[in-house]
Amino acid sequence: MARTLAMFTDTSLCIGCRACQVACKQWNELDMEVPDWTGTYQNHTHFTDKTFRLVRFIEEPGGKPNGDLAWLLMSDVCKHCADAGCLNACPTGAIYRTEHGTVNINQDVCNGCRYCVSACPFGVVSFNEQTGTANKCTFCNDRIHNGLGPACAKACPTESIQFGFRDDLVVKAQKRVETLRAMGFKEAQLYGADSSGFLGGLNAFFLLLAKPSTYGLPDNPRLPQKSVFVESLLSIGSALLVGVGALVAFRQRGGGKEG
Amino acid sequence: MALLQSPHWPVLIDVYFFLGGLAGGAFVIATVATLLDSRRFRDISRVGYYLALAALIPCPIILIVDLGVPVRFMNMMRTFNPLSPMSMGAWALLGFSACAFVAALLTLLEDAGRARSLAGAKIVVGVIGGFFGFFLAAYPGVLLTATARPLWAGGHGLGALFLAVGASTGAAAMALVLMLIGRRMADGVATLRTMLVLALLIQILSVVVFVVSVQGSGSAASLRALATLTSGAYSLTFWLGAIAVGSILPLVIGLVDFKRRSPGLTALASILVLVGGFLVKFVIVAAGQV
Repeated sequence: MARTLAMFTDTSLCIGCRACQVACKQWNELDMEVPDWTGTYQNHTHFTDKTFRLVRFIEEPGGKPNGDLAWLLMSDVCKHCADAGCLNACPTGAIYRTEHGTVNINQDVCNGCRYCVSACPFGVVSFNEQTGTANKCTFCNDRIHNGLGPACAKACPTESIQFGFRDDLVVKAQKRVETLRAMGFKEAQLYGADSSGFLGGLNAFFLLLAKPSTYGLPDNPRLPQKSVFVESLLSIGSALLVGVGALVAFRQRGGGKEG
Repeated sequence: MALLQSPHWPVLIDVYFFLGGLAGGAFVIATVATLLDSRRFRDISRVGYYLALAALIPCPIILIVDLGVPVRFMNMMRTFNPLSPMSMGAWALLGFSACAFVAALLTLLEDAGRARSLAGAKIVVGVIGGFFGFFLAAYPGVLLTATARPLWAGGHGLGALFLAVGASTGAAAMALVLMLIGRRMADGVATLRTMLVLALLIQILSVVVFVVSVQGSGSAASLRALATLTSGAYSLTFWLGAIAVGSILPLVIGLVDFKRRSPGLTALASILVLVGGFLVKFVIVAAGQV
């Protein structure tokens, strides 16, 4: 495998221009949608089959170091998890990992069972009613295989979205967190940068200025497939009980006749 | 609060979970009957194998129709992924279909008088198919748990519950068919009634384990999701339909029936178990997708 590629989204630099969201729509030729009224500039409420990059606008009362309202902006995207729930769930092999470490859905193989939709800890994977398949960010697979960065990173005017090799970006991100903490952003933290952390690390990781839950991210996302082993054992236990029950039922009536 | 998406599986999928479980349960009971005494329990064995095939036939059709791209259903056979209960379920459905077909065919050959006794062959197919049958009944529960949905992923024992429902509904459906054809009713039906009562006990125990484990998961999202089941939009279906009328009442009737031995009571208990078995699967799938 080639050196893992990554996107680092530094939310402290995001100005909410949504150039990333537009660039994503244009490059990936995603159809227009009826807008959601969210009460903020954010559109849509969440990822859809036609919105792979989404700038979240979050108003957090008392979120600033001086106690003022913090206006948090975050360009959200598929996390391209190192241990991906969608990839593990896929029964057709349509979801695969590229040589660059990104996670992709082969649209010619996906048969639309929607198991991946339920298995994504971040609610990224969306079902497309028109094509009948699951859709999500492709990490601009066509671009990265031709020496270009993802469209969103390319379009970002503030380098809030950075594209590069994962190891380089993690070092950069750690320095940035230290700088921000020194500036008084006490809650500044990396999300998904640690490859020994949850889901084996995220190949699209973030710098957040508040708790992950403030951004609608799970504090400690869990790989759904971790429950398969225990639940299988419990099912086997249930099967044994049913088997014993059947033996009891058949034995009990072994001798007698009844009316 | 984490933002998640729902797979929006329709009620048709619940019908599949119900029929697949029933088929698996009936097949296993038929196999136990064949193993213990293929002559004495011949009727149970016959009804079980025929019923398993009949209940199974709509299953692949339902699954294919539900796909976003139905013509690509064979893509399920491209991988063998032990971590994905859906992948394993697809293989189990294929394996079970083969066994259920052969078992029903062997039974038909016996019934048509073409062969005196095919008990040996039936036992071989029955044991292999019984494994697949149990798998088919249980895997949907494991599948639901292996998601990011807070209700399903928050608890334990959904696979165990679905398996027990498969056994109880399988026994109930077999008892009803036996009563309808009215042959050697007393012995076979009484056996199935005992089976049904025991499976109901495991079923109720599994529901308790599931609800208590979600309650104790400590996840706010799971507790919120549980509330839709126990006190929210689905609470009436859950408590009254799935638990009271669908599990407890047939259990009580079944226990009373041990003394009374009334065909009417057995039939009533069987019908209630079928309704309750569907509702318990339906309500958990529905509440988990809200």
